[in-house]
Amino acid sequence: MKSTLMSETKIEAEVKAGAEATGPPVSIKHVDKTFGNEIEALRNVNLDIQPGEFVSLLGPSGCGKSTLLKIIAGLSEPSFGQVRWWGEDAHVIGKPGRELCFVFQEPTLMPWRRVTGNVRLPLDLTHQNRAESNQKVQDALNLVGLTGFENVFPRQLSGGMQMRVSLARALVTEPDLCLFDEPFGALDEITRDRLNDDILKLWEKQSWTVAFVTHSVYEAVYLSSRIVVMGARPGRVVEEFHIDAPYPRGNEFRRSQQYMDYCHKVSAALERVAK
Amino acid sequence: MAIIENRADKTRRVLIPVLVGILFLSIWEVSVILLDIKPYMLPAPTVIIKTLVEDWQLLLRGWLVTMTVTFVAFAIAVTLGVILGLLFVQSRWIEMSLYPYAIMMQVTPVVAIAPLIIIWVDETLTALVICAVIIAIFPIISNTTLGLHSVNPNLLQLFRMHRASNWQILMRLRIPSALPYFFGALRISSGLALIGAVVAEFIAGTGGTKAGLAYTILNAGFTLQIPRMFAALVLIAVTGILLFMLMLWLTRLALGNWHESMIEHEQ
Repeated sequence: MKSTLMSETKIEAEVKAGAEATGPPVSIKHVDKTFGNEIEALRNVNLDIQPGEFVSLLGPSGCGKSTLLKIIAGLSEPSFGQVRWWGEDAHVIGKPGRELCFVFQEPTLMPWRRVTGNVRLPLDLTHQNRAESNQKVQDALNLVGLTGFENVFPRQLSGGMQMRVSLARALVTEPDLCLFDEPFGALDEITRDRLNDDILKLWEKQSWTVAFVTHSVYEAVYLSSRIVVMGARPGRVVEEFHIDAPYPRGNEFRRSQQYMDYCHKVSAALERVAK
Repeated sequence: MAIIENRADKTRRVLIPVLVGILFLSIWEVSVILLDIKPYMLPAPTVIIKTLVEDWQLLLRGWLVTMTVTFVAFAIAVTLGVILGLLFVQSRWIEMSLYPYAIMMQVTPVVAIAPLIIIWVDETLTALVICAVIIAIFPIISNTTLGLHSVNPNLLQLFRMHRASNWQILMRLRIPSALPYFFGALRISSGLALIGAVVAEFIAGTGGTKAGLAYTILNAGFTLQIPRMFAALVLIAVTGILLFMLMLWLTRLALGNWHESMIEHEQ
């Protein structure tokens, strides 16, 4: 009798927690980050990222945009303030509907594993069924256009293709929140544009929420639904722009007056920050 | 085209050192004959080869003893070195407290401590093995430790983000990252094990059935059988080269697919 009661309250508590856990994917309140006792990387940053948003963090180098992204990823603790994921305090990666992925500037692949082994890594680490994992890996490779390169070592691929492997590894967990830390920064412009288009397509198809760190105004305007402009010393949020252009975006958008206007506005904001 | 060039390149890589060797030996042979150098000063290469053939039983016996000491010492050095390296990486405290002693062992000349070890350990072969281990172990410890620490920091963060356990990080990230360093250490250490075995035997100076190549050299020196001395030296040198090549082959087997050092230069 007592045990049924217990289990009932437990279920109630779980339902409650589930109801509470419907906050925005990322909610950052009054976050400071200081390295050592001297360097103030972030001061009083407030940022909410709503489901399905594509948010770019844009700013000069040293404005703490990568630090902010690491805090969002849970890789770094804020010195002060609060970070919540879907309304929860604790880090919630790995729960259903709470998958997170991170794409670095470099491909960051394991040179000793073939493409499949690299892409399967997140699934291997959580001990998922091998057959199912392999199917997911195959699907992810299809999505990034790497079918046929399953058994190749990373060194045998070009930089752009290595980044695709990195993307596939991010996709394979079917993430809800994707974090990009200046991806493709080291690639040539054509490859970079193409990969950015791929990210946009995937974002629309997979209903991701995206935080994207970049220092390119053009890239930010092209991709984002919202741009957060940050300033340096100390790193802080300075201005926000909503880019109200419909998706899917393509070359027509790149050539439109609307696009140029946004670029001018955002550039002007960046210049004000620099002064 | 590239394949043909590659093959030509490979042939050249073998051919050129062989030609240099032949040239060197010819000059040696001719000089010995022309300058009428006595075999007890410097035997001609042909004389050394003749001695190698004539004394093969004696030399083989010595070679087997030296090889036994070398391989046993090398195996122990690798096992112990890897265990210590893994321990060092697990805990900063262990590394901090033991690493200076590992260095101390490295910089202490084995010639200086070998007599002590030979006095302390009754069994001669065991004493020789201990000396060789002391010489061979340091590269393994230091390279394994270095390799296990040399992990791509972003990959490490990725592992952490996906909640990898320490065990998973060790098995899937640290150990594979350390392999190139480890195999580099194998190449150095295998040679050092051979040197250790020979040097220790020089100091122990044991004869009888447990006599290795070092004793052969010592004894040949005492009795002025210089060609035999050279024959033993040649055996040691050839063994060292073979050991090195064996390690190179092992490295290629383990890293051939993915590591930069093993990749043939492609056009």
